[in-house]
Amino acid sequence: MSDFVDVDSLWKVLAVGLIGGAGLVAVFAFGLVGLSAYADRPPGARPKVLGLVLACACFLVVAGGAAAGLVALLAK
Amino acid sequence: MDAEMVLLVLVVVTALSFDFTNGFHDTANAMATSIATGALRPKVAVALSGVLNFVGAFLSLEVAATIAKGIVDSGAISLSVVFAGLVGGLLWNLVTWYFGIPSSSSHALIGGVVGATLLAAGTSAVKGAGLLSDVIIPAVLAPVAAVLIATVGTFLVYRITSRVSERLRVGGFRVGQIGSASLVSLAHGTNDAQKTMGIITLALITSHTIGPDDGTPMWVIVASATAIALGTYIGGWRVIRTLGKGLTEIESPQGFAAEGSSAAVIFAASHFGFPLSTTHVCSGSIVGAGVGKRLAEIRWGVAGRMAVAWLVTLPAAALGGAVAWKGTDLIGGALGMGVVFALAALIAAGLYLASRRAPVNHSNVNDRWTGRVAPSAQVGERVA
Repeated sequence: MSDFVDVDSLWKVLAVGLIGGAGLVAVFAFGLVGLSAYADRPPGARPKVLGLVLACACFLVVAGGAAAGLVALLAK
Repeated sequence: MDAEMVLLVLVVVTALSFDFTNGFHDTANAMATSIATGALRPKVAVALSGVLNFVGAFLSLEVAATIAKGIVDSGAISLSVVFAGLVGGLLWNLVTWYFGIPSSSSHALIGGVVGATLLAAGTSAVKGAGLLSDVIIPAVLAPVAAVLIATVGTFLVYRITSRVSERLRVGGFRVGQIGSASLVSLAHGTNDAQKTMGIITLALITSHTIGPDDGTPMWVIVASATAIALGTYIGGWRVIRTLGKGLTEIESPQGFAAEGSSAAVIFAASHFGFPLSTTHVCSGSIVGAGVGKRLAEIRWGVAGRMAVAWLVTLPAAALGGAVAWKGTDLIGGALGMGVVFALAALIAAGLYLASRRAPVNHSNVNDRWTGRVAPSAQVGERVA
């Protein structure tokens, strides 16, 4: 079987796919949780700035991941 | 214009036509989920995807002047084999589009070339091991990997955002969807337009129009990018409908997880040189997005029909390529190629006319799924 499958690169694809696909998607979701803590507040309550910071950090990580993906695509 | 020149022009026109069907067949890969969840209006989605395919085609210009490399003996590749292979792939693309089945354009092209080569140069010119390792095994592994990753992603996304307000969740993931679908479109332009550039460059070298080391002329790059972008913009609405509405009902968190998984797998596979088909990855991701959400219904009948089509793609396109080569060879020369080209155009026109009887377009692409590709006007029928 391994004569016909490049097992090494298959594992890499799966690992990078999990980190980049499921991982970054989860980070984006955490960003929304942060944004929710900041924006979805009961009337009169103070906005949780920490939530906004978390959200920005998460979205930056996702954007960075996408940029890294593009670089990897072009550097094949 | 001498006969040789006529042959070359026919091959180039056929290659660009194939490129066009490649675009419109694959609009769904990037945009079906965004259209289904309403993240983008249908017309806006196909326009965005078309532009990004065009841009993507220019991102990497190291064009390899090959076709079905490692699968057929490069010595067996003649202009008529390239032509017949393109015709076989193109016709299979149109047939699967008519039935709304997302099948791989790369597999269709390889199948067409293999079929033409089998008749033109015999079985020894086709490398079975290459076919197995570069086409058949990846076709099984790609959807499995995509299903797995999209399932994990979808599960996580719903768990993490369970307390986020509905408004923010739907809106936030719609924005994310647009981003991830754009990445898939860009990667598609880079990978698939290059294949056509490679084929045309190969044809130019074979006919001694350019030297082997001359590189790809600019007009080839611009024409290939334009053909795939136009095809994408026209939009294979029938395939979009199957992927966006037929497989499962998609919400924006699922759509985002699916496209995120697709983008990551496609990028990783191109980088590590693992030959995955975009179509297989994207379809797998959407199934995974259905599996990852509890109680989501997946229409396994639709998924099964899709899997069968993937199995049939290679032999069916091979048959088309073989018939096209035989026809070209029997009549001979530029006339033979012209006749086969005209016949292929007739079949294409026939399929187009047949599709007009029950059209799927931007206005009805999101209608309720009733078990068939084309939504019917009747009300109160069974849901498949």
